[in-house]
Amino acid sequence: MPDVRSADEGISQFEFTGRAGDYFRIWIVSLCLSLLTLGVYSAWGKVRKRRYLYAHTRVAGDGFDYRAPPLSILRGRVAAVVLFGGIALAGHFIPLLQVLLFVLFVVLLPWLVVASARFNARNTAFRGITFGFDGRLGEAAAVFIGIGVLVIVTFGFLYPYYRRKRAEFVVAHHRFGATQFTADIPTSAFTVIYLMAFLMLMGTVVLSIVGVLGALALAGMSGRDEAPAALSVLPMIAIYAVYLFIFAYIRAGTGNATLNGTLIGPIRLRSSLGAWSLAWLYLSNALAIIASLGLATAWATVRMARYRAQRLVLVTTLPLATLAGAADSSANATGSEVSDLFDVDVSL
Amino acid sequence: MTSFAATLFDGQNAARWPVRVSASGDDLLVEGEFDALRIPRAAIVPDAPVPGVPRVLRLRGGGAIETRDHAAVESLWPAQSALARFAFRMESSWRAAAGAVVLIAAAVTFIIVVLLPGAADEVADRISMDAERSLGKYAFGSLEESFLKPTALPEAQRDELTQKFASFVADDPDGRNYQLVFRSAPGPNAFALPGGIVVVTDDMVKLAKSDSELLAVLAHEIGHVRGRHALRLLLRQSGVFVLVTALAGDAVGMTILAAALPTILLESSYSRQFEQDADDEAFAHLKRHGYSPQAFADLMRRLQAAEKSRTDDERFFRYLSSHPVTAERIERAEAAAR
Repeated sequence: MPDVRSADEGISQFEFTGRAGDYFRIWIVSLCLSLLTLGVYSAWGKVRKRRYLYAHTRVAGDGFDYRAPPLSILRGRVAAVVLFGGIALAGHFIPLLQVLLFVLFVVLLPWLVVASARFNARNTAFRGITFGFDGRLGEAAAVFIGIGVLVIVTFGFLYPYYRRKRAEFVVAHHRFGATQFTADIPTSAFTVIYLMAFLMLMGTVVLSIVGVLGALALAGMSGRDEAPAALSVLPMIAIYAVYLFIFAYIRAGTGNATLNGTLIGPIRLRSSLGAWSLAWLYLSNALAIIASLGLATAWATVRMARYRAQRLVLVTTLPLATLAGAADSSANATGSEVSDLFDVDVSL
Repeated sequence: MTSFAATLFDGQNAARWPVRVSASGDDLLVEGEFDALRIPRAAIVPDAPVPGVPRVLRLRGGGAIETRDHAAVESLWPAQSALARFAFRMESSWRAAAGAVVLIAAAVTFIIVVLLPGAADEVADRISMDAERSLGKYAFGSLEESFLKPTALPEAQRDELTQKFASFVADDPDGRNYQLVFRSAPGPNAFALPGGIVVVTDDMVKLAKSDSELLAVLAHEIGHVRGRHALRLLLRQSGVFVLVTALAGDAVGMTILAAALPTILLESSYSRQFEQDADDEAFAHLKRHGYSPQAFADLMRRLQAAEKSRTDDERFFRYLSSHPVTAERIERAEAAAR
């Protein structure tokens, strides 16, 4: 009798097995029905799209299972629209309310992060075991508001520290069944990434100024009184290209640092996202989406999921089967949905 | 008897058990490398099917049975929500996907072509006269800074025209205070701002062979003001956000509108419909005051000839670029004169 319990020990490569054509149909039907139902269907559409993407994200022979009830998501969306839409509309007549809205959002931010992480974790399962998130509101407030204020006071100097604390907070309070995650992100990791990004940015600015001045001087010597149009266009393209690369560099670096610093009992993750590959994916996806009037969005999503999975490896010193489940209580979607509305990035 | 291959997750540990599941009376019989399990079908909650996603049968207590055999699950639990069945059918078919693309394109086109202009017109009708006046004043201020220079016309001529204009617009039913402003700018031009500031350039005054010709073109501009055409054009081009803020009487929204107005006036042309409406308004107004619309036709002909001979690049500030004149419009003026 083969021992199924030890079959999944060791190293396992993540893979994404979804196909762009299949996902496109789910995506376009969701978009179409959402439009026809004035957004009501979007809750069902979101669950169906996510179920496809999760099920095709596979490791050690199994995919992930997204279990969120669409009605909870719809409730959350309605609450978000009524709350923020109502205050925003009222703010037209009573400007003070707009200030209140901002204060409310800042105060709500930690709750949004905690509630949406909890909702998403509770509704994600692997091999019949659901994830969980037990982050406390007080700690979230200390990180998001406390350190957030420090970042402003220090003119952004503490931003890398803030990002690391944020990542640690999110990672460390997750659990898989009964197995608590631990965060082991090197202190300097985020600092080095943001410092490098800053240096790249400064270098580009200096280089493009030197380049423009040099070209102007050349144009002056050749006796033309007007600089060629290429002079104003080329530095702009160069600067946007560098912005894109820096963005990808930060995403790859912080993503790798966070995932590689994530310990789940006997499990470690090995993420090796590359800045160049990510930059290329962002650029080509954006171009394809624009050129196809949005139709390539599904294809772009699948491409990105495939790349991320390719670059993620699970290493475990004990069979996955030894990880135990935990009793779970009911979920509440409002946190996740309010944060969806404002696109708060709380993912790993 | 239905039977299918599946994976059992027991909810206790993250173990995977390859199993064979078969229906046996009211129970599911789950057989694998363990003592066979009997699970009452009533204790199982099947998921909503999504094409390409394994079916998940959720068990009470947290476990799950996962299988790729959609058909078998479908035959055991045929009663699903109609919505899920409908979505599943749509998502499985390329033809439905193509239909969805067409529907979305049609809906987006409808929103852009019908809904937004309709909403823009609705909002334009609701803007108060006070707001219209301040919008016009603000736009006039920025035009003065960038395009308009003081007039070089003799004061006597201006006074005479101003007087004629005053009696020409004295009976405005909407209660606007029209104000004629002489300015110098390249080329013959005339335009009116919301609220009733009517600007005429020195070249236009010179091009007009009689006062009735000048009043004809001014009557046309007044027609645009009465129909709030500039506001409509502006609102149609400014998108949903500005529409909402303009409707709410929001100061920020109005400032955005006012800032965009000069450019709209100079660069965009009025639609055929707007021109016709303004023409009709103008012809009626001219006749009421004892002038013939023929004057309008004459001036337009001369304007066309004058612009044809111009070779400069200042299309930006040409009367005909913002007021396309067609042979049809000239004919209509002549018909109205008869």
